[in-house]
Amino acid sequence: MPISMEELEGGITRVILEGRLDIEGAAAVDMRMNVIAGTKKAVIVDLQKVSFLGSMGLRALVAPARAISGRGGKMVIFGPNELVEKVLKTSGVDNVIPIHHELQNAIAALQ
Amino acid sequence: MTGNGMDTTGERLELRSRISELARLFPWIERLASRHAIPADTQFAMNLCLEEVLSNIILHGYSGKSDHCVAVRFTRPGKDYFVFVVEDEAPPFNPVISPELPAVSSLDEIRVGGHGIRLLRRFADTLEYQTTPTGNRLTIGFAVPGPEIAKD
Repeated sequence: MPISMEELEGGITRVILEGRLDIEGAAAVDMRMNVIAGTKKAVIVDLQKVSFLGSMGLRALVAPARAISGRGGKMVIFGPNELVEKVLKTSGVDNVIPIHHELQNAIAALQ
Repeated sequence: MTGNGMDTTGERLELRSRISELARLFPWIERLASRHAIPADTQFAMNLCLEEVLSNIILHGYSGKSDHCVAVRFTRPGKDYFVFVVEDEAPPFNPVISPELPAVSSLDEIRVGGHGIRLLRRFADTLEYQTTPTGNRLTIGFAVPGPEIAKD
């Protein structure tokens, strides 16, 4: 699963995931996500190009969010499609990792 | 396929009890979706539920032992109704009555993982569980809402 990173103004890191965040996808991004969680404090995870999210994919999002929060930082989710968002909401992950559909709002939530 | 759009011919996928085998699941569902014109949101739900069920069987039911099998049979008992029957040889586990974790409300209380049963119940339309002489049988149904029919 492709994962790329972009540094935005204000010390914000945008992590762009692409493809299926299933068991294989989660395993493919876990290490990069852990590194990001250990080094960054303001992170936008861009899910615009994520077509599927399963429970192991949730794990790949929640674990870094917790690590970033533990270091006094914050992670938000940007741009999930309707079905991916349904998974996030059904599990309650949206209660602890805010979801935004406008990039400006995602950035503002981290400032 | 019969004239009324129903297909009762079963299609079957058999996986070894290795997580890497799950890579075969999505192409299989994609083929079924293409063949049976299954809408994208239903296909998403099928992927989600089957990945959850099969990974649970492989990781927990078989405790990571790789010398077992799990079989998935697909049928279309009605025009807009699709069913997967999952059979394993693992110790009894009934996801229909197993407690689900509450929805997450705090990062501190998040148990990473463990929300699969909640997702399974919300994304499947029907769930039926039976024990078998050798293991478990879980029947997962997905209904596709038909078009609204105008009333006179």
